[in-house]
Amino acid sequence: MITEFKLPELGENILTADVVKVLVKPGDKIAADQSVLEIETDKATVEVPSEYAGVVKEVFVKEGEKLKVGAVVFTFETGTAEVKAEKPEVKPAAKPTPAPEEVPVKEDVIKSVPEAKAVTGTFEFVLPHLGENIASADITKLLIKAGDKVEVDQTVIEIETDKATVEVPSDISGIVKEVFVKEGSKAKVGEVIFTVEGVSTSPKPKQETKISAPVKKEEAPAPVLQEAETSKAEKFFAQSEIPVKVNTVPQLIVPAAPSVRRFAREIGININMVMGLGPGGRISIEDVKAYAKGLNEQYAATGCPRNALCIQAEPLPDFGKWGDFERKQMSNIRRKTAEHLSYSWGSIPHVTQFDKADITKLEEIRKQFGKKVEQEGGKLTITAILIKVIASALKVFPQFNSSVDMDKNEIIYKKYFNIGLAVDTDRGLLVPVIRDVDKKNIIQLSKELNEVSARARDKKLSLEDMQGGSFTISNLGGIGGTYFTPVVNSPEVAILGVSRSSYEPVYTEGQFEPRLMLPLSLSYDHRVIDGADGARFIRWVIEALENPFLLSLEG
Amino acid sequence: MAVNTQLAVLGGGPGGYAAAFLAADLGMDVTLIDLEKNPGGVCLYRGCIPSKALLHIAKLISEAEEAKKWGVEFGAPKIDVDKLREFKNGVVNKLTGGLGQLSKQRKVNYIQGRGEFLNSTTIRVKKTDGTAEDVIFGKAILATGSVPVKVPGLSIDSPRVIDSTGALELNDIPARMLVIGGGYIGLELTSVYAALGSRVTVVEMTPGLLPGADRDLVTALSRRLEKKLEKIMLETKVVSITEVPEGLKVKFEGKNVTEPEQIFDKVLISIGRKPVTSGLGLENTGVKVNERGFVIVDKQLKSADPNIYAIGDIVGNPMLAHKAAAEGKTAVEAIAGHKTAFEPNAIPAVVFTDPEIAWAGLTETEAKEKGIKIEVAKFPWGASGKATTMDRNEGMTKLIIEPETERILGVAIAGVGAGDMIAEGTLAIEMGAVVKDLSLTIHPHPTLSETMMGAAEVFYGHATDMYRPRRK
Ligand SMILES: Cc1cc2nc3c(=O)[nH]c(=O)nc-3n(C[C@H](O)[C@H](O)[C@H](O)COP(=O)(O)OP(=O)(O)OC[C@H]3O[C@@H](n4cnc5c(N)ncnc54)[C@H](O)[C@@H]3O)c2cc1C
Repeated sequence: MITEFKLPELGENILTADVVKVLVKPGDKIAADQSVLEIETDKATVEVPSEYAGVVKEVFVKEGEKLKVGAVVFTFETGTAEVKAEKPEVKPAAKPTPAPEEVPVKEDVIKSVPEAKAVTGTFEFVLPHLGENIASADITKLLIKAGDKVEVDQTVIEIETDKATVEVPSDISGIVKEVFVKEGSKAKVGEVIFTVEGVSTSPKPKQETKISAPVKKEEAPAPVLQEAETSKAEKFFAQSEIPVKVNTVPQLIVPAAPSVRRFAREIGININMVMGLGPGGRISIEDVKAYAKGLNEQYAATGCPRNALCIQAEPLPDFGKWGDFERKQMSNIRRKTAEHLSYSWGSIPHVTQFDKADITKLEEIRKQFGKKVEQEGGKLTITAILIKVIASALKVFPQFNSSVDMDKNEIIYKKYFNIGLAVDTDRGLLVPVIRDVDKKNIIQLSKELNEVSARARDKKLSLEDMQGGSFTISNLGGIGGTYFTPVVNSPEVAILGVSRSSYEPVYTEGQFEPRLMLPLSLSYDHRVIDGADGARFIRWVIEALENPFLLSLEG
Repeated sequence: MAVNTQLAVLGGGPGGYAAAFLAADLGMDVTLIDLEKNPGGVCLYRGCIPSKALLHIAKLISEAEEAKKWGVEFGAPKIDVDKLREFKNGVVNKLTGGLGQLSKQRKVNYIQGRGEFLNSTTIRVKKTDGTAEDVIFGKAILATGSVPVKVPGLSIDSPRVIDSTGALELNDIPARMLVIGGGYIGLELTSVYAALGSRVTVVEMTPGLLPGADRDLVTALSRRLEKKLEKIMLETKVVSITEVPEGLKVKFEGKNVTEPEQIFDKVLISIGRKPVTSGLGLENTGVKVNERGFVIVDKQLKSADPNIYAIGDIVGNPMLAHKAAAEGKTAVEAIAGHKTAFEPNAIPAVVFTDPEIAWAGLTETEAKEKGIKIEVAKFPWGASGKATTMDRNEGMTKLIIEPETERILGVAIAGVGAGDMIAEGTLAIEMGAVVKDLSLTIHPHPTLSETMMGAAEVFYGHATDMYRPRRK
C-alpha cells in the first residue's frame, strides 16, 4: 500500500515551515517514530517523526523549501505489518516515554548498571523484586507468548500487588521460548516467568530491577528534593500523550541549569515534568519549549481550560437558519461571571435546602425602628437584618465559614465574618462584601449596605471591595418568586437565597392566621457540609428571625 | 514619628542587606533596620569575616613553622594581641563601613535600633538614641539571624566562659583552653587559638569531629589537628563547669575519659546556633515558627503572614551567609512579582580550617542514609603536582555520581583552598553536568583545581596522574 506522509500540525497559528533537512531518500526503510524531516518554524526547529513504518518511494521536498501544513512530503510503501506509531506528534527524536499511571516513588526504579557484556543462550526472566515486604503478585496481563520477540525494556507482564498495578519491563531480549505463568495466576518474586533464546546484556543472576512500593500517582509523596507542586492540569496531562519524564532514576537534582529552571518557572512550566534530551537527561531551554508547546497543542486540541474541568463546548448551530440574530461581545463582567459560576457549579456538589421564616413579628419591629435607623442614615431592610443573623449563624456553624483545599486535603476555617451581597446592576451581577459584620450593629450594617449598593450601581466598586467574603446573600425578594437554587460563590461554601415574603394562612392553635412568611433557599457545598447541618443552619437562621431576641441571647 | 516604606527589612546581615540592596536596585523604597551602626550582621561583625581574618594569621603562623622542614626558619612568632585585634577590627570596620556607603548610595533608609512588629504592617523601632519610630510597610522581610545556643548549667556567668562572639573579640590568648563542640565554628576558632599559642582541647559528644560531614574528608583534618592540639576528646560530655581561683574546673563524662576533672583558663562553648524569633513581636503578626524556632516559609520565602517574608538563619539550615543572601534576593524578586523560587540544586558549605573542607550537593553520608544509589570517584592529592609543591598531599577531591546518567550530584574536597575550589563543583551540579563534562574541561596546570578533572578521570579509570583501573 502506498501512503503519503504529510507535514503534520505544528501547533497553533503555525501554517508553514522551512525544510532544514530531509532525512530520508527513496529506498530508505523507515521505522515508526523515526525522524524524517527537520523543519524550522518561527518558533523552533523540530524534527518530524514518521507515523508509520515502511519504505520511502518518492520524496517531494527539498531542503530550503517552504512547506504548508498538510503538504505531501514523501510517499512510502507499507507492508501488511504496518504499525501506527503510538504517538504521532512532533517532538525531537528521542524515544518519548508516556507517563504510566503509577510512578514508582521513594526508591524509584533503580537498575543495577549492567555490565556491557553480551552473552548468548537461554535466559530466564524472573519476577523482579517489587519492593519491601512484597513477596508475590497477581499476573493481570501477559503481554508475550512463545515465539514473540522481546526487547530489553519492553513491557512483558502487568502485575498487581496489594499496593499497585505495575508494568514490568523485560531486562533480556530474544525470542520467547516458554512461558510458565498464566493471566490471573500468582507468581512469587524470583519465580521464572518465561525463558528466551537470545542475547542478554545482563547476565544472571542479576535482577536488581527494583520497583519498590509504587504508589498511585495522586498519593505519591514527593521524591527527594523534587518539587511537589505539580498543578492539577499538569497531572492531568501527565497522563496524556505529551512526553513527560518518568523518573527512571531518583530525582535528586533537577538536571537543568539555573537559567533554564528560571525560564521554565517564568513561563509556568513545572520543570520536573519536562523530559531532558541532553546528556544525562539534562534539560535545555529547547526541551522546556517543546514541552510547553506540547501542552499548548493539547489545550488547543481538547479545548480544555487550564483548570482540568474539561467540558468541551458543543459546536453552535447556524442560528441564521431560523431567523435573524445579532452577535455582541460579552462584557468583562459577563465573561467573569460565566467563568466563575461555571467553575462553582462544576466543582461544588450543590444541595439546596428550602424553608420559610415567619417574619410577622420581625416586620413589626422593623417598622417600629425603621425611623430611627433612617435618622442615622440607613435603611432597616430584611437584608440588613439577615446579614447580622448570618454572621451569628456562622459563629455557631463554623463549617459554613470555610473553604476547601482539595489539593492539600485541608479545610480552611475563617475567623472573620465578611458577608457578600449579590447586587443586581445594569452591568450585571456584582457581589460587594461587607466586612467584619460580627463587630458591627444592624444600624451600621444598614448604612454600609446602602453605601455599597450605591457604589455598585455607580460602578465605583473596587476589586478589593468584592473579595474576601465568608458567605453570600442573594435577595431577589424585590422582584418576586418563591424559591430558587442559588449557586455557591466559590471558594465560599454556602449562599442564602431570599425570595419575596407574603402573607399566608398558617394553622396555629386551631385556626388559620395570616402570617408574613419569608421563603429562604440555602445552597451549600456538600463536600464540607452534611445535609443535617444544612437543615440545622437554616433552622437556626429562621428561629433567629422569628425570635429576634434570640440574636441578643445567642448571637 | 512614623515613616512609610514599600519594603522594610528587619536585620542587616548578609540576608537582610542583600535583600535591601536588590530591592533598592529594583526601584523599591526600602527601609533597613539593624542594631549596629552599619549593615553587616553576624557574618561581618562576629562571624565569617573576623574569623577568616584571624584564620589567615593562624595559617601564616603554622606555615612559618612548617618552613623549618624546607630549610627556612623564622624563629618563634611574637604575638602582639592588641595589634592583631586592631587588624581584625580594621577588617570588620572597612567592610561594614563599605556596606554603610553602599546603603547610602542606594538611598536605603537605614535605621539603627531594635525593631518589633506591632502588627502585620508596622514595625516599631526603638532607636539607639532612645526615641521610637514606627515603620509602616507594604511588605517586610524578617532577617534577624541567629545567636549562639547557651547551655543551662554550662554557660555560667563568667568572663572565662565565652561563645564564638567572645572568642572573636580576642581579649587575650589563654594558656589552656577548652572548646566544647567539634562543629565548624568550634574547629575554626580552635585553629585560631592553637596557632596563637593556646594549648587547646576539643570535646565533642559524637564519635567524630564535624558531625554530618563525610568521614573521609574529616580524616585529613583530624590528623593535622591532633598534632596541633593538646587533645581531642570524642564521645565525651561536659557535665559541669565551676569557677575556681585557678580558672575553670571542668568535669567530663565518657568512656574514654582518663582525667575526668581538669582546669582551663577559658572555655569556649560552640555547640550550635538558634534563630532569633523571640522579642520581635511575631505574635502580633501571622508569622508562624516551627518546633525548633525557625520561621515557616514557602518556596518564595513568604511566611504564614502574606505581608512578611523571612530569610537567612532564621528560616533554617544550612545557616550560612551565602544561603541567606540568595534567599534575600529570591524574597525580593517574589515581592517584586517575579516568578521565582528558592530551589538551588546545591548550597556549598566550607569549613575554613587548615586543611579546608568543603562540599556541595549530595554527600556520601546522606546518600547512605537515604539509600540513594551512587558511585564515588576520588582523587587523592598524593597524585597532585601542585599539592606536592606545597608539601600538602593530605587532601582529596571526590565526586558523587548518579550511576545511570553519570550526572554529578555532589562534590566534596578536603585540602588547602577547598573553599575556593568548591565553586566549580557547585556550578557543575547546578548545570546538571555529567562526569564527562568535567573530564573534558581543560584545567590549568599545575593547580589544585586539576584534581576535579582528575576525579572525573578516575571515574573512567584513566586518570593520567594515577593508576587505578576501573574495578568493573
Ligand atoms: C564564628 C562564625 C563564623 C561563621 N563563618 C561563616 C562562614 O565562613 N561562611 C558562612 O557562610 N557563614 C558563616 N557563619 C554564619 C553566618 O554568619 C550566618 O549564616 C549569617 O550571618 C546569617 O545571616 P542572616 O542575614 O540570616 O543574619 P545575621 O547575620 O545573623 O544578621 C541578623 C542581624 O539582625 C539583627 N537583629 C536581630 N534582631 C533584631 C531586631 N529586633 N531589630 C533589629 N535588628 C535585629 C542582628 O543584630 C544582626 O545584625 C559564621 C557564623 C559564626 C558565628
